Amino acid sequence: MKGSNFSYLVKQGVVSVWYNRVMSFASFCILMVSLLLIGLAVLFSLDISVIIGNIEDRNEMLVFVDGDIDDSELSYISDVLNSQDYVSRVVFYSKEQAWEDEKLSEKYGSGATALFESVDENPMPTTYRVTLNDITKVHEAAERFRRIEGVDWVAAPYDFAEFLISVRNTFTIIGIAILSALVVVCLVIIYNTARASVFARRMQISIMKHVGATNSFIKFPFFIEGMFIGFLAGTASWYLTKVAYESVFSVFERDIMILQFLGFSNVMGFEAIKWYVLAANCLAGALLGAIGTILSMGKHLKV
Amino acid sequence: MVELKNVDVHYKEGGVDALNDVNLRINDGEFVFIVGSSGAGKSTLLKLLTRELSPTNGRVFVNGYNLSKLGARKIPKFRRSIGMIFQDFRLIPNLTVYENVAFVLRVTDRSRRFIRQRVPYVLNLVKLYDKARSYPSQLSGGEQQRVAIARAFASDPGLIIADEPTGNIDPELSYEIVELLKDINQCGTTVLMVTHEHDLVKYFGGRIISLKKGCVDFDDYIGGNNEG
Repeated sequence: MKGSNFSYLVKQGVVSVWYNRVMSFASFCILMVSLLLIGLAVLFSLDISVIIGNIEDRNEMLVFVDGDIDDSELSYISDVLNSQDYVSRVVFYSKEQAWEDEKLSEKYGSGATALFESVDENPMPTTYRVTLNDITKVHEAAERFRRIEGVDWVAAPYDFAEFLISVRNTFTIIGIAILSALVVVCLVIIYNTARASVFARRMQISIMKHVGATNSFIKFPFFIEGMFIGFLAGTASWYLTKVAYESVFSVFERDIMILQFLGFSNVMGFEAIKWYVLAANCLAGALLGAIGTILSMGKHLKV
Repeated sequence: MVELKNVDVHYKEGGVDALNDVNLRINDGEFVFIVGSSGAGKSTLLKLLTRELSPTNGRVFVNGYNLSKLGARKIPKFRRSIGMIFQDFRLIPNLTVYENVAFVLRVTDRSRRFIRQRVPYVLNLVKLYDKARSYPSQLSGGEQQRVAIARAFASDPGLIIADEPTGNIDPELSYEIVELLKDINQCGTTVLMVTHEHDLVKYFGGRIISLKKGCVDFDDYIGGNNEG
């Protein structure tokens, strides 16, 4: 294809958008709504994932060490705990600190001071408080920590971990199912809209075939047209996604309690991801528009 | 040159024999009328000559191409060697008159300079240069058909196939259209015109091929009324 033909075909593709403006507008609307729905579904499922992740990050395992352990052994345990991939944080909690905290605890009431002073030896254990970055590793971690020399026993939130894992799995399955159904429905609608648009111009395609145009020569302006409409729809859907997302976000922002309870403080604000969303919407719109149009031309090219 | 050798076309759907053992030879530079009633096989013959259809049996040669063996990839190149004129004009509605004619030249990767010279030339031939910027919907039927003729002739094809080109225009303009095709024929282009208007055929005369029930019923030259 010559350069002059390339620019001519690109121009024809763009001009066709205006010439077939009714079908172009229909394709634009369908693509925009599809991208809006898919975009919101993706963002909210990512948010749910972040929220669950935040809750998961609050997990804590307690690693109790033997009472008669020296500093070098403590250091060894600390090194082993920190060297595990799935460990995000290790906090040392000395028996002295534990004893002091216990004394200050309100659970014993105001007359407990004399009771604590009558005890000669500190009975509290030395512990390491370990936070995992992957809660699915809780059993593996507990087993590994138990085998470290100098560790007495390990307390892990098994039930909490299993509950969170099942919640995450359920949300993942629901998210994938909704997203898949949405993608399939949108693709069917986009394909049918593109087919209707191409069908309205089947005579034009037939004329081009009769004068000796190759399939690629005929397809190219349609490709540009679909891509152009898709790009515009992607941009428009980005703006609508922004409005919808920020509206939902502001509802939760108004009530700090809900925000904190759900772990919303770390949820993605639209401002931080707006360029990624814009790029994804425009790219997806352009690809869907172009591919949908090209796929729906097949039958009409057999002249 | 157009040549059909023992050509049969059988439509599986409906079990119809559209053409039966047709043998034809049309030499370069000829002007031929193809006539016949509905169902005689005229449309099937045209579809064979434009490679919309392949014969069930026999061989079809057009402009040096053996259409019976022509692969799908080579069809566009073959079609650039012929010009097609249709009863319903088939102009691209969103292109101007100029662009409709230029389109066939763009398809063949002609240079901008060539297109700028050739399109005004052919539009002048059909006396429509002043309508170059108009859209098909702004033209009368006769004018649209003249644009279609200009488009068919623009790439200077060896053969022009006209499928009832006067079917959708006023009778008095029909003679003008055929005159235009005759002028093109005088330039050396073979013209094959399908029509059911016997008055036109009698008026212009020349070689007449009549089809009847899928067979060549008549193939000979007759004198035209315009020759006296």
